Amino acid sequence: MSDKVKEQGSIPVSKVQRAAKFISTGAKVGGNYVKHYAKKMVNPALNREELHQNNASDIYNSLSELKGSALKVAQMMSMDKNLLPRAYQDKFSMAQYTAPPLSYPLVVKTFQKHFQKTPEQLFDTFSRSAINAASIGQVHQATQGVKTFAVKIQYPGVGDSVSSDLKLVKPIALRLLNMNEQELNHYMQEVEERLLEETDYTLEIKRSREISESCSTIPNLRFPKYYDSLSSDRIITMDWLEGKHIKEWMETNPSQVQRNRIGQALWDFYHHQVHNLKQVHADPHPGNFIIQEDGTLGIIDFGCVKVIPEDFYKGYFSLIKKDLLIKEEELNQIFYDLEFISDKDSEEEKNYFKSIFSEMITLLGTPFHVEKFDFSNNEFFNEIFQLGDRIANDKMFKKSNQARGSRHGLYVNRTYFGIYNLLNQLKAEIVTTKPDWLI
Amino acid sequence: MDTAVEKKTGKKDYKKLILEGFISHVLEHGKEPTSIFKFAKDLKIKESDFYNYFTSFESIKTSIWVALFDETLRQLEEQEVYKEYAVREKFLSFLFTWVEELKKNRSYLLSLYGDKVATFKKLPGDTREFKEKFSDFASELIMEGKETQEIATRPLLTEKYDEALWLQVAFVFRYWLDDTSPRFEKTDAAIEKSVNFAFDLMGKSALDSFLDFAKFLYQTK
Repeated sequence: MSDKVKEQGSIPVSKVQRAAKFISTGAKVGGNYVKHYAKKMVNPALNREELHQNNASDIYNSLSELKGSALKVAQMMSMDKNLLPRAYQDKFSMAQYTAPPLSYPLVVKTFQKHFQKTPEQLFDTFSRSAINAASIGQVHQATQGVKTFAVKIQYPGVGDSVSSDLKLVKPIALRLLNMNEQELNHYMQEVEERLLEETDYTLEIKRSREISESCSTIPNLRFPKYYDSLSSDRIITMDWLEGKHIKEWMETNPSQVQRNRIGQALWDFYHHQVHNLKQVHADPHPGNFIIQEDGTLGIIDFGCVKVIPEDFYKGYFSLIKKDLLIKEEELNQIFYDLEFISDKDSEEEKNYFKSIFSEMITLLGTPFHVEKFDFSNNEFFNEIFQLGDRIANDKMFKKSNQARGSRHGLYVNRTYFGIYNLLNQLKAEIVTTKPDWLI
Repeated sequence: MDTAVEKKTGKKDYKKLILEGFISHVLEHGKEPTSIFKFAKDLKIKESDFYNYFTSFESIKTSIWVALFDETLRQLEEQEVYKEYAVREKFLSFLFTWVEELKKNRSYLLSLYGDKVATFKKLPGDTREFKEKFSDFASELIMEGKETQEIATRPLLTEKYDEALWLQVAFVFRYWLDDTSPRFEKTDAAIEKSVNFAFDLMGKSALDSFLDFAKFLYQTK
């Protein structure tokens, strides 16, 4: 279990092999638990951190050998920082950058199938190896005259493997996320829908255009142009955005003003999507944001877009009204609407979950309750982790085998955690705007 | 395919006529003609003329396989980038191109080999010459692979590698026949994954180091 990313040897072939891979992970994770408890008998002071570390490595190593949706799930788990202890996160964050590449002959073949031409015939230059690996595709750099393009190519057969991959991830997700099966199914369907959409490159181009056009008035944002004649349902050609990812950019010691500008652009981008368009780029992982030389924020990859239904939107964002926590009645209604509590709950459960969710909402809504919020404040994030940990370990919470929270919340939550997280990395101070109806 | 056949049979029209006649008979009737006599009659040629070019239906099928292979190689050589490929990529590229060639004749191949049991009986005979040619091609690749260290030299085993690659070709063919995914994407994935697997096995691995180590322990004891 070295820390280096191991070079991919072979990709497991059939579903049986994929399953075997997962089973071996499951077994290893199980083994880690056994080891942990054995050690703990000898040394009661041992903390769970080490156990998580072992689990995270095994799971990551296993997931990264499976392309496609499994990798996507790894990415997703790495996003939901509140759900995962820290050791998992660090390992999973790697999944956001590295994935094993496709061979060049297959790239050529894909081009020939869609354009009846090889990449060399279409472009002046075309990089032989992938510059970047996305979870369901990989990106090559190409040039034509003075123009540079990013060409995203989808792995063949990814769409077909989404459903079976998700079934395979389930046992691991169950254990990792401390959820029961019923709860998980409730969300899996939502995940499956999004993943299937993501394999539809034609839809992605359409959405990319719509959203980037609608956001073109927001200052300091840059979107790539998309080229229909060089795209198909398996290939997307767009402008190459030159620049740095947030982590690299932060190493160049940008000033507070620069950081705020990027952060604010990010915030405004999401504000506009959520409150005006009601559809949102739901994949705010660091790889999708590129900070350019001129201090603008480039945004790529509209594969994962969540359309927010109107009634969910109302309920969800009413929660950030500051005085709401006082009005018991209204709050109860919203909790019902968002499926946090239901009639199946006992009175005791209702009260327990209401108190938990109120606490969570107050905490997560904090940035909205002030004019300006300083996201460099690690204290705020620690509080979120702690609350997450505390809830996850609470007996009452574990015992309840009902799904909590509307499925629409899954991606909206993920988006907000993603933004908070990025803003935290940027150490930016943000004017946290709210839609008019909430002021 | 047409062009391939033409190339092979450019000298005489009869040969081309027989090959095309055979393919269209299979396409229309779903099986081989009943006899050479009947087949020759349908083509309006003398049975004895037929034997000037082919001795049996099997030899026709053989030459179709060879034509497919030759056409694949021709296309590979046309690709500029092919020469720069590593051996693994060359073999991948071969299979991808070959499958494209197969696609042009899918109905013909399905009629003759679609049935699993039939495939096992028929394939070895029909593809003998193709296999010989392929083995030459594979041996060249393996030689090159050994030079570039992509393929580890293992006594006894290495000589069997061309056989292993042939098995892979047979696997891809079978997989492709059964593939129902749009654009045969699953076949592409199967090729990619199986070739990577095969080349990883042939490359230097922990096993070699282990054997070397074991040998050392045994000899120095």
